[in-house]
Order: sequence, then structure tokens, then C-alpha cells
Amino acid sequence: MNRLLANPFIRIALGFIAPLLLFGWWQWQTSTHVTTFAPPSAIGKAFAEMIGDGTLASGIQATLRRAFTGLAVGAPLGIAIGMATAVWRPLDRVLSPLLNALRQVPMIGWLPLMGLWFGVGEGTELIVVSMAAFFPSMLNSHAGVAQVERRYLDVGRIYGFTTPQRFRLILLPAAMPMILTGLTQALAFSWIATIGTEILMGADAGLGVTMQLAQTQQRLDMMLVVLAATAALGFAINQAFLRLRRFLLRWQPSAL
Amino acid sequence: MTDRASPAFVNFRTRDGGPALGAVIAPVLLLGLWQAACMAGLFPVQILVPPSVVGSTLVSMAGSGELQHHVTDSLYRLILGFAIGTFAGLVFGTIIALSRLAEAAFSPLFLTLWQVPVIAFVPMMVIFLGIDEPFKIAVVAVAAFFPVALATFDGIRGVPKAWFDVARVYRTRLPDLIWRILVPATVPAVLTGLRVALTRAWVVLVAAELLAADSGIGQMMEMGRQLFQIDVVLAGVIVSGLIGFLLDRGARTIEQRATRWRTA
Amino acid sequence: MSVDPLSRPETKAQPLQKGALTISDLNKSFVIGKKPRLVLENIELTVQPGEFVSIVGASGCGKSTLLRLIVGLDDEYSGEIRLDGERISTTSLDRGIIFQDHRLFPWMTLEQNIELALLNTDTPKARRAQIVADHIALVNLKGFEKAFPHQLSGGMAQRAAIARALVTEPKLLLLDEPLGALDALTRVHVQNELQRIWMAQRSTMVMVTHDVEEALYLGDRVIIMSPNPGRIRRIVEVDLPHPRDRRSPLLHRLKDEILAELTTGAAIGNAPSNLIHLHGREER
Repeated sequence: MNRLLANPFIRIALGFIAPLLLFGWWQWQTSTHVTTFAPPSAIGKAFAEMIGDGTLASGIQATLRRAFTGLAVGAPLGIAIGMATAVWRPLDRVLSPLLNALRQVPMIGWLPLMGLWFGVGEGTELIVVSMAAFFPSMLNSHAGVAQVERRYLDVGRIYGFTTPQRFRLILLPAAMPMILTGLTQALAFSWIATIGTEILMGADAGLGVTMQLAQTQQRLDMMLVVLAATAALGFAINQAFLRLRRFLLRWQPSAL
Repeated sequence: MTDRASPAFVNFRTRDGGPALGAVIAPVLLLGLWQAACMAGLFPVQILVPPSVVGSTLVSMAGSGELQHHVTDSLYRLILGFAIGTFAGLVFGTIIALSRLAEAAFSPLFLTLWQVPVIAFVPMMVIFLGIDEPFKIAVVAVAAFFPVALATFDGIRGVPKAWFDVARVYRTRLPDLIWRILVPATVPAVLTGLRVALTRAWVVLVAAELLAADSGIGQMMEMGRQLFQIDVVLAGVIVSGLIGFLLDRGARTIEQRATRWRTA
Repeated sequence: MSVDPLSRPETKAQPLQKGALTISDLNKSFVIGKKPRLVLENIELTVQPGEFVSIVGASGCGKSTLLRLIVGLDDEYSGEIRLDGERISTTSLDRGIIFQDHRLFPWMTLEQNIELALLNTDTPKARRAQIVADHIALVNLKGFEKAFPHQLSGGMAQRAAIARALVTEPKLLLLDEPLGALDALTRVHVQNELQRIWMAQRSTMVMVTHDVEEALYLGDRVIIMSPNPGRIRRIVEVDLPHPRDRRSPLLHRLKDEILAELTTGAAIGNAPSNLIHLHGREER
């Protein structure tokens, strides 16, 4: 059996079993009962329709834009503060407990508050997504710098490293694995936060917006298209990031 | 001495009173700053309300029973959904960990769905389940399912092969194999997965309540937003944060207690 | 007794060359719990330029602490440590050190690791690549310039660490159990390399090791320390020409004596810091 499973083609074929079963059950449901939602066979049509009127393209674009903008704002800030608090203890004493207290509130829970403060719109969404990216970046960067082994810093002292040199040549590369872990999480969280805020707050375009629209119109087929698109995008982004990580960390022994 | 020369070595334990003190001081400081800023009139009332007002709102809501109503509703959904999702996750994770065939058949679908934020499933679930209790419990269950299934899978796959060999030599039967070998070996990983699932479930629940509910902390916040009652919204923020914090701490304590046999 | 080396008549005659180390009246305590614990007591040592000195002793005799003090990673002590007459206060490119773990930066290639030693020297940038290449050749690692440390074997990484320590041409090179992490075969090989390099460069070297044979093979003098607190118990001179022959009967006899002393604690000689000369005359 194991030899059979080692064959890649068989594995791929097997992987289709579960989704096919699911669709089969679904199709059967919609054909035997009168239901309020469309059968899965309509997915192809819905897909074509959404590509035709551009909702899919604009939705993907908008969601990607929001997620990456939030990441671009929140992650560097998080990395900077995380590293700074790891290096200067007084700063750590002041900032860390405050930020940790704020971190406890579920990200989405900030939405109503932000909505009251900044109105419903792009600005609020950006803030929430940035916050979602900020916290994992900060935590992991802090941990990354804190665990830099003293023996490497000793070497820096022996060769008379100045503070910028110590930062550039020791702290940053040594902390890089954890910083990248933080970025991975930040990526995931900002993705989730983007879709979440789109669903909850609406906007002009976006995958979450389309999803919400589909719900009000009871268009299950549209929803599935958006779900598939979300899954595919999520997968692609993850893979791209994995490649980047492998490149940046090529000095690591392969076991890691 | 030499430690000072390497400031990157951060010790979380402050020398004054241990970690607990530090963790309490800051929120207190934050509250103090907040109160002072409001009393100084730095913010218009629509934007920010002093903690004293939030406090009295909380008190009055507790007095009228409204607060308890929201909290118990939310927690009820959380516990029920978490139990269901965790159970399903454990079973599913165990199956795909133990059977290569099952893994080949189900993990592609599982991993694909894992890419989608649980929130994205919410509209679909509203169509299927409406916006009543079953919907919210289902959302929590789904949110808890994925991390638990993954953690169970990792935990079981992480059990050293050698232990399975020992079981085979002694011709252990399946129930014994599961209870006496697998379960203790996988408890650490599974507990971590449970903790992650719990915090995620709470976040997702609040989000779902924001979207579609008639009670619960999330709904309380959304209603406050719509009625421009910033004190209610802030109260919700504090309560949801507090509950999330307590859940996380509780889960961590259980996790540490149960994994005491592990050498660091 | 602290005697200013500058006032001693013998040293006045010769100009102070590169790498003369003088330690006088050195005492060091650590605070463990609430009580101070004396780790080094009354250390007196003079190392001539170009000399190779080995330090052996049981664990806990403060050998590594002594090296850290000399290199300047630790600056709390009482007494004097001087290099060429100047008091040591902090780290400096004059003094290099090699640790038991190679401490190459895992995220840099071999070349980059060695070059970083030159970062804060006033060596002109144009010359640096050549100097690095020369030292890579010196430790026989040619061809591995672009390798990452995880791709090197233990012995190779340690040789790279030696190259990095030597590239700044320090007056004094300290070695803290440099071969301790290597397997026995590699150790012999790297010992030979060390000897060859030292003979070529004649920098002053002070090596701490727990391997008595290694100490005798490489050292002009072997300093035996005893623990709790760390003191110099005896100094053995090894008067044999370099390169040394491992089969030399003198080396074996000295090794047996020193081992016996270290393991049974029986002291040959009276007071600490007693200098005993054991000249060897080889019959060829």
C-alpha cells in the first residue's frame, strides 16, 4: 500500500476524492430537494460570469492591495519596535506591558471602536490590518533579538564592532529566522484581517465584499468561486514567502 | 558586568517584583493616562470617554443583568462550539495521522480549506444555518477544528517510530496503543493546539457576533457603535480583551502543568 | 609580589618587543548567591614575546576566566595585566582569542567571517581581500572561501577560526581549549597545523587545554594550575626544539609526571609559582 501511495500520480488522484465526494453530495442535495441555493454545477457559470464583469479581478486586486498595504505599515513598525525593545531595556519596560495589554483584545474587536473614531472606510480598514500585522512582527522580532547568543556578541566585542556594525552584522542576521517567522504570521493575520474587515465593514471592492454580497443574494455559487480564489491566493502567497525565506536563510543547515 | 555589555540579553523578570507586577503596572498606567487625557478635555466625547464612565457603564450593565447576559451567551457558544470543533479535530487528526490512505485522500482538501480565513466561511454558513445559535456554534467549531486537527496530526506523526516498534513487539491492541502510548506522547502538541484553537475561536466568535447576532459581546459592541454609545463599545473592548487574556492564561497554565514531565 | 617589569634590570637591556605579557598579583572573585567566591588568587606570570605557553589544570581552576580577563572581555579584577607595558582595560585588536566553539557567524561565508576581523583596522580596503586569501591558504582551507560554516567540518571550522584570529596580526593570541570539540584524529592534525603556523608567525600564544600531551607538545612552558581557588601551582619548562617529535621520551615522562600530580594532588616542589627547569637532552 505504501508503495502505491508513493506514486505521485496516485496521490494527486486520491486527493481529489474528498472534494469530489463533497460536490457529489451537494449536487444530489440540490437536485432532489428544493433549496434556496444553487447547485455546484453552476460554479463554472458563476466563475465565467465573475471574470466577465470584472468582479473577480477587481476583488482580488483590492484585497491584495489592502492586505499588503497593511503589512507594509504594520510589519516594519512591529519589527522596529520589537528589536528596539530587545536592545534597550528601559524602552522595553515602558512599551511592552502596554502593547501586551492591547494585544489581548481580539483584532476584530477593535473594528467597532475604530469605526466610531474614524468612520467606516479605507482608513479604518488599514488601521486594523496594520495592527494585525504589527503584533506578531513585534513579538517575534523581540524574541529573535533576545535569543541572539552572547558568544556571537563576544566576537563582536573582540573585533571592536561599533553599535551599527553590531546591529547590521550580528543582531539582524541572527534574529532573521524569527523575524521571518513573525512576518509569516503577520502575512497570515493581515490576510485574515483584510477579509474580515471587508466582510464586516464592506467597501467598494474586495473578495470579502463579494462574499458578503453573494450572501445577501444567496448566491452560493459565487461564494464558492470567491472561496476558491481566496484559497488559491493564500496558497500562492504562502509559497512565494516560503521561497523568499529559503533564500534569505540559505546559510542554515537543511535540518532547520 | 559582562551582561551589561550585551544589552540584547533581555531578562523579562524585572528585578523589582517579578513579571506579575510589571504586567499589572502598565495597564494601570494606561488607564491613568487615559483618565487624565479625558479629564483634560483632550478628546471630544464622541471619540473617547474616560475609564470612569466606562466603569460606571459596566457597573450599570452588570446591575441590570445585561452584561452577564451577553457574557454568558458568548461563553456558552464558545464552550459548545469549542468542544465540538476540538472533538472533530482530534478524531480527524488522528485518522489522517494513522492512515496514510486517509491522509492522501483528505489532506489536500483540508490544507486548501486551511488557507481560507475562517471569517470567509461565515457568509456561507449564514446561508446554510441562518443567524441563530447553530450558526455561531458552528463558526466556533470550524475555527477550533483546524488548529486542533493540525496539532493532533503533528503530535502523532512526531511520536518516535521506536515507540510504535515497541508496541508491535508487545502486540499491543489498538485501544491500548491509543490510550497508553499515543495519548501521553501527543498531549504536549495537542495542548498547544488547543490553546491556539481557543484564542482563535474567541476571536472568530466575537467577529461572528459583530456580524450577525442578537446577543453576545460582539453584538453588544456593534450595537454600541450603531447607537454611537462609545462607552458601551469601550466596555465591550475591555471585556473581550479580558476574557481573551484569561482564556489564554488558563490554557497556558493547564499546558504547563500537563507537560511537567518534559525536560526543557 | 608586584614588581614593575620596566624596572627589572634584565628587561631594560632588551627593547620591549611585540607581545610581552605580564600578569602580577591578579585576583578575581565572582559573586555567587550573596557571597563572593575567589576564583583566581595571586596569579603571577610573564610571557616573553613569541613564546608559546600552555596552561593545564582541572576544571574549576579558573583557566578560562584568566583568558577572558587577558583578552578584555571581563574587566573586573584586582592586580595588573599588562601587554608590552600597557595596562589592559578592554578588548583590543592587539589580543585575539580562539574559543572551543569556533564562533564563526553562521550567516556569513568563510571569507566574510575572516574579513570581518579587519573591519575596524586601518588596513586599506584594497589589501583586505589579499590578506584574507593569504590566511585562508595559511590554514589550508583554500577552495572553501564561499562555504557557510555549517558546510565545514569541525576541524575545518576551527582552522577558519584560527585564520580569523590571526588576520589582525595580534601581538598576543589566546586559545581557550581550541581543540576540545574535535575528535582525536582531527585534534592531532590541527595541533600540527597550530605548530606550523606558530613557527611561521611566532606570535605570542597562550593556550588553555585539559590535554596534557597537547600542552607539552605545543608549549615552551606548561603552567599547571590548581583549583579552588585558581592558583599557579607549578611551571614546567619544556626545553625541546620545534618542530617537536611526539614520540620524544622527555615529553612522555613529563606527561606522566604532570598527570600524576594533577590526579593525585601530590605536589612536587614547595610553594606555588615554583619554577622548575627540566632540561631535556635528547640522545640521538
